[in-house]
Amino acid sequence: MEETAPAGTMASRNSNAFDQAKVPAAQRPRLVAFGSGFEPVFGLASRAAALLVVLVMAGIFATLCYQSFPAFKTFGLPFIFNSSWNPVTDKFGALPAVTGTLITSIVAVVCGAPLALGVAFYLNELCPFRLRSILTTTIELLAAIPSIIYGMWGLFVLVPIMSKIIQPAVINALGPLPLIGAFFQGPPFGIGMLTAGLILSIMILPFIASVSLQAFATVPVALREAAYGTGASVWEVCYRIILPYTKTGIIGAIMLGLGRALGETMAVTFVIGNAHRIQMSLFAPGTTISATLANEFTEAFGKMYLSSLLALGLILFAITFVVLVITRILLHSANRKIPV
Amino acid sequence: MKLDPGILRKRRLMNRFMIGLFHLAMIVSIGVLAAILIKLVADGVHSLAPSVFTMSTPAPGSKGGLFNAIVGSVLVVFFAILFAVPIGVLAGTYLAEYGRDSRFGHVVRFCNDILLSAPSIITGLFIYGLVVLPVGHFSGWAGALALCFIALPVIIRTTEDMLRLVPDTLREATIALGCPYWKMIVSIGWRAARPGIVTGIILALARISGETAPLLFTSLNNQFTSFSMNAPLSTLPIVIFQFAMSPYRDWQQLAWVGSLLITVTVLALSIFARLFSRRKT
Amino acid sequence: MNDNSPETKIKVSVKQLNFFYNDTLALKDISLDFPDRSVTALIGPSGCGKSTLLRVLNRMYDLYPGQRAEGRVEVDGENIISPGVTVSALRAKIGMVFQRPTPFPMSIYDNIAFPVRLYRRLPRQQMDELVEEVLSKAALWNEVKDKLNRSGLSLSGGQQQRLCIARTIAIKPEIVLLDEPASALDPISMGQIDELIEELRHEYCVIMVTHNLQQASRVSDYTAFLYLGELIEFDTTNAIFTSPKIKRTEDYITGRFG
Repeated sequence: MEETAPAGTMASRNSNAFDQAKVPAAQRPRLVAFGSGFEPVFGLASRAAALLVVLVMAGIFATLCYQSFPAFKTFGLPFIFNSSWNPVTDKFGALPAVTGTLITSIVAVVCGAPLALGVAFYLNELCPFRLRSILTTTIELLAAIPSIIYGMWGLFVLVPIMSKIIQPAVINALGPLPLIGAFFQGPPFGIGMLTAGLILSIMILPFIASVSLQAFATVPVALREAAYGTGASVWEVCYRIILPYTKTGIIGAIMLGLGRALGETMAVTFVIGNAHRIQMSLFAPGTTISATLANEFTEAFGKMYLSSLLALGLILFAITFVVLVITRILLHSANRKIPV
Repeated sequence: MKLDPGILRKRRLMNRFMIGLFHLAMIVSIGVLAAILIKLVADGVHSLAPSVFTMSTPAPGSKGGLFNAIVGSVLVVFFAILFAVPIGVLAGTYLAEYGRDSRFGHVVRFCNDILLSAPSIITGLFIYGLVVLPVGHFSGWAGALALCFIALPVIIRTTEDMLRLVPDTLREATIALGCPYWKMIVSIGWRAARPGIVTGIILALARISGETAPLLFTSLNNQFTSFSMNAPLSTLPIVIFQFAMSPYRDWQQLAWVGSLLITVTVLALSIFARLFSRRKT
Repeated sequence: MNDNSPETKIKVSVKQLNFFYNDTLALKDISLDFPDRSVTALIGPSGCGKSTLLRVLNRMYDLYPGQRAEGRVEVDGENIISPGVTVSALRAKIGMVFQRPTPFPMSIYDNIAFPVRLYRRLPRQQMDELVEEVLSKAALWNEVKDKLNRSGLSLSGGQQQRLCIARTIAIKPEIVLLDEPASALDPISMGQIDELIEELRHEYCVIMVTHNLQQASRVSDYTAFLYLGELIEFDTTNAIFTSPKIKRTEDYITGRFG
C-alpha cells in the first residue's frame, strides 16, 4: 500500500482485522459479513486498473522516445528546426510540420474562440428557457461528429466555396495591402492552412463553448441580478460581469480548444494539401504533424523515415502535453475539471 | 440626476450590435451542423442500397458494398469496449473511493485528464510501437487495443464523477451494517451511479466508433474480405478515408454512404446517452 | 418512565476516551456507562461532540484518515477501540440510524434483505417472514405490504426513516445508535419515531443523539449532557431534567444558553 493516510485505509484495515478467532467464543456467535475475504482482491484489482492509466501515459512517452531515437541521433536537436523533408535522400526536419500545426491551431483558436464565446453568451443570457437544453445538446453534437466527416465535408463542400468565392475575394481585397497582404497571396487552391484552420475552429467550438458555460454557471445569481438591476444591458453584463468573473475558466476553455486543434488529424489531412514547405500565405498548402503522419506513415519505408515520423509524434505529444497541463491548472484553479 | 441621451443611445446601439453577433454565432454553428448533415443525407441516401450491407468493398469500377468494413468496425469497437469497461469502471472506482485523496490517486487523475484530451493519433503510434512492430504485422487486435485506450479515460472520468455524486451518508449507512467496503461499492455505489456510468460508456462507444487516425497505424486495412482479428482488418473509417481520397467516383459514393452510416450511428448513440441520463436522474 | 432497577446491566462502558480530528481534541476524557435495555440520550449544543461519541461506538471514524480515538470503549467487556477488533462483526452487533433517511437505491424488500444477506443465507420463505416481521416492528408493514417491490426512495421521509430502523434491526443488533433520527422529519413522523424508540428499549441498548430536549425527556431513561467535548453531567433523565446538579446543565435545560 503506497499511501498510509487516505480514505482507502478503512477498507484495508477492515480486511486485515478480519479474524474470527479474535471474537471471544463466549460471546453470542456472530457471523462476519459474507465476502469480507474478497476485500483485498477487489482493492487490488481497482488499484491495478488505476495503475494501468499511469502505465499507458508512461508507455506513450517511452515508446515514442525509443522509436524516435534513431532520428534524433542522426539529425540531432536541429531536427526540430530543419525544414527539409526528403524521403529520397533520407533528410528529415520537423519545422514545416511544426509550424503548420501551430499556424492551423492559431487560426482555429482565433476564429473558433469568439464564435464559441458568442454561442456560450447566447445560451447563457439570450436563449429562451425552453430552447436552452435542446440548443445546448445541438452544439454538443458538433463534438460528436467524427473527425473524418469534417474532413470529407471540408474537402467536398468547403474547399470549392473557398477556391471559387472566398479566397479570390480576400486576395483582391487584402492581397495588395502591405504586411497583412503577405498572408493572403497565391492561387486560390481552396485547400491550405486557412481552410484547415476554419474546419478546426468549428471542431473545437463545442469544447470551448461547453467549458465556458460551466464557468458561467459559477457566477453568483445575485451578482448578475444586481447588474441587471442597475440597468446594465445584456452585453454589459456579459462583458463587465461574466467575462471578468470567469476569466480563468474561459482561458482554460480556449487552451483546451487549442489542445484539441493541435492534435486533430483526419479533418486536417483532407484539406491541408500535404506540402512540406513553409509559406507566409495562409492560402498555400502546408502540412501538420498529424496530417504528415496520416498521409505518409503507411508508405514510409526505411528506418530513418519511420523514425522521423515517430519523432514528429513525440514533438506533437510534448506540445499537447504542455498545453493540456496549463489547461488543467487553469481549470482547476477555476475550481472545475476538463470535460469529456 | 439627468440621463445623457447620447450615452444611452450609444449603449443601446452597442448592445444591439453585440446581441446580433451572439445570434450570428449561434446561427453559424447550427448552420454548419445542418450543412454537414444535409450534405451527408443528400450524397449518402441515394446510394444506400441493400448491397452496401451484403457485398464487400469493390475494386474501382465494379459493384460492391461496405459489408466487410462494417463487420470489421463492429469487431474492433466491440472488443475495445469489452476491455475498456471493466478496467475503466474499476479505475474510476479507485479514484472515487479508495484513492480519493491519496497521492497515487492524484497522479492517476492527472494522467487520465491528459489522456482524455491527448490526440488520438498518439495512442495509435503508441500501439504501433507496442504491438505492431514487435509482432511484425498490423492486426485487428492492435486496433481494438488502441480504441480501448481512447475509450478508457472517458469511462474512468464519468465513473469517478458519478460515484462522487453518491452521498457519503449512504456509504456510512451501508458500512454501519458491517458491510465490507467492496460490497458497499458494488451493491450501493455502482447501483446508485449506474445511469451515469452507462451514459459514459455509451459516449465512449460513440467516440471510438468514428475514430480513424489510430486505426491507420494499428488495424490498417485489408483489400480482401477478412474477419480475422489477427490480420489487418478493414474498418469503416479507414475505408471512408481511402475511398474519399481516391479519384474514383464510385469509391467516393461509397465513402459518402459510409459517412452517413457512421454519423447516424454516432449521433444516435450520443443523443441516446443524453436521454438515458436525463430520464434516470 | 425511568425504571432504573439496581440490577441494570452495563452494555457499553466508555473509559477515559479522547478523540482527535487530526490534531484537534474533540472529546476530552469521557467516561460513561450505557445500561442495557434502556434509552440513553446524548444532549448538548452543536459541536459539543455528541455525534462524535456516537460514531466512536461503531468505529465509523475508521472511514476517515486523520480521525483517531484513545482510551477504552468496552462492549460486553471487550475493548472495541483496539486495532485487533473485527470491525464488521462489531458493526453487525451495533446498528446505526442516521439523521437523514438513507434508503438504499433498491426495492423496499431488498432494503431489508440486503443487510440480512450479508450475514445469513435464508430461503425465500424465511426471508419473506423476516421482512414482514421487522417491517411490522417498525410500524411500516401496513403501509408498504402491497408495494414491497417499489423503490425505497419512493417512500415519504418518515417512512424512509422507519425503513432504515427496520433495516437496522433486521440483522438483530444488540445496540442501536440513533443520530438525531427525527430532526429531519415532520412532527407526525417524529411522534411515530418516538413510539418506535419506546418499543426498541425493551430489547436493545439504545443510544440516541438529539437536539430536541422534549424528545430526550420523553423517550430516554438516562441523559448525558456534553459541552465542548466534555461530559458535564450524566444521570437518569428524571434527575437531569428536574434537579440537575451542575449549573451549566440547568442553564442548557432551561434554555438559558445553547
